[in-house]
Amino acid sequence: MRKAASIWRDLGLTAAILGLSFLAGLWLQHMALDEQVNTTVVFGVFLISMVTQGYFWGVAAAFIGTLMINYAFTFPYFQLDFIIPTNLYSAIVMIVISVLTSTLTTKVKHQEAVKAESRLERMRANLMRAVSHDLRTPLTTIYGSATALLDEGENMTDDQRRTILKGIKADAEWLTRMVENLLSVTRIDAGQLQIQKVPTVLEELIDESVRKFKSRYPDQELELRLPEELVLIPMDPILICQVIINLLENGVQHARGMTRLSLEARVAGDEALFQVTDDGCGIPPEDLERIFTGQHHRQEPTADGRKRNFGIGLSVCATIIAAHQGRIWAETPKGGGARFCFTLGLEEQSHEQ
Amino acid sequence: MSNKYKILLVEDEANIRTLVSTMLETAGYQSIQAGTCEQGILMVTSHMPDLVILDLGLPDRDGMDFIHAVRENFLMPIIVLSARTDEEDKVAALDAGANDYVTKPFGSAELLARVRSALRSARRGEPDQWRDQRFTLQDLTIDYAARQVFLGDREIRLTQTEYNILALLSENCGKMMSYRTIIHAIWGYTDDGSVKKLQVNMANIRKKIGACPGEDNYIINEIGVGYRMNGNKQ
Repeated sequence: MRKAASIWRDLGLTAAILGLSFLAGLWLQHMALDEQVNTTVVFGVFLISMVTQGYFWGVAAAFIGTLMINYAFTFPYFQLDFIIPTNLYSAIVMIVISVLTSTLTTKVKHQEAVKAESRLERMRANLMRAVSHDLRTPLTTIYGSATALLDEGENMTDDQRRTILKGIKADAEWLTRMVENLLSVTRIDAGQLQIQKVPTVLEELIDESVRKFKSRYPDQELELRLPEELVLIPMDPILICQVIINLLENGVQHARGMTRLSLEARVAGDEALFQVTDDGCGIPPEDLERIFTGQHHRQEPTADGRKRNFGIGLSVCATIIAAHQGRIWAETPKGGGARFCFTLGLEEQSHEQ
Repeated sequence: MSNKYKILLVEDEANIRTLVSTMLETAGYQSIQAGTCEQGILMVTSHMPDLVILDLGLPDRDGMDFIHAVRENFLMPIIVLSARTDEEDKVAALDAGANDYVTKPFGSAELLARVRSALRSARRGEPDQWRDQRFTLQDLTIDYAARQVFLGDREIRLTQTEYNILALLSENCGKMMSYRTIIHAIWGYTDDGSVKKLQVNMANIRKKIGACPGEDNYIINEIGVGYRMNGNKQ
């Protein structure tokens, strides 16, 4: 499907540019500027080689361009004649130009793709490092607690046992969330930057995200603002669900002094805009930029040890949104606190189902 | 003879088997266990359990085979236990005849809620439950004979299609219904726009019965999988 669309696009571009240079040629001839016709057609061939995929269109345009010049713009007019050396010469020049340009553009396009891929790869690698490092702590608690209960359980008071069990539960929950995040990242196929997008009802997406969030934080109030009408957004809903939960969870875990947490989604132009806003301690301006990079670890004492995954959830969000070709950023709303925003395109790209 | 519900657990991991049967027994169910697909199928025939909890990743055969084999002869609810989070697996299990699924890791409250809900929906399927031709869940009442829906005393005006969807979900209360199952039952055929058509109708139903995103609603949606009438609504 992708192929067919790009062939039609390239064919259209080639025809349009050739047509324009032909018209320009006629006009130049009319103005008695015959010697400029060749330059114009060569320029057209050069443009075609640059904007189309691969070599085919450029070379084809060079051939057609040669015929065009030969037929319409050089003596004998409106006849094909390859014997005259200037005609042969201009044909060769144009073909060489088209091949060289196509080679260069193909190379540049390839490099850009490699660059984007390696950026995503780097994000994933950072993430894996951070996560693997953090996995050890909860495992230590769980393992230690279980052995303590088995060996010393009889000598403990009921309260002591309950405390230890609660610790096991909390750390197991933390591990579960971490694994969900890792699974999300593995859903993004490294080889192809594309993810499987399906049209998703905004309301159902929010419903599922909020339901999952509330099952973890039943006491947290959450304000919701959603459009009244039905909105369909192409996305991988499992991944975007993960993004929303991570952002909400980030608010609960890191926005100290928070009294209000809100989730808003709306349509803005050809994008859907999602915002998670809290009125907590806010983010220092110097951190706003790098908070999504996965290398950011706030050096603050973690008294309860529960804040250690700061940044991992956010860099998962950044990876997911990057794979969706959306934007994600953090800002400080008027009146303080923190606001996390991300956008998703509403238009389905032609090569997707 | 005890009149406890008998639940068959088909799971190859001994740790999870012990854990789940402890959960079930402390909740007052009788639990029997199988470690392989073959053994599980034999035990369904010989013990006639009221419900089956099935792990999809079994060593001898795929859990899907188990569902197909059991569904040839039996109607008892099957709850699938799966570490897989991919929707396709869930949808395939549901389409093959599973009633519900629980994703690992799960808590005892979550598992027991699904068990209760599945047992309740199986009971509802028994003939005497249908005699009054009414479905009631909290404030929601559906009068199947008159094709009317009430929320408290107030009648909810639904279109034909919306009513059909709501009635279908209520008849299968507690069961997760895949998009395909619903579309097939309502329109009889599937085309490219079917899922969207279903989603639009569901959006209208939600609006009419006053659903709030993220709340404990009458209808639970699971994106990419389907919808479920929430039999455990508090």
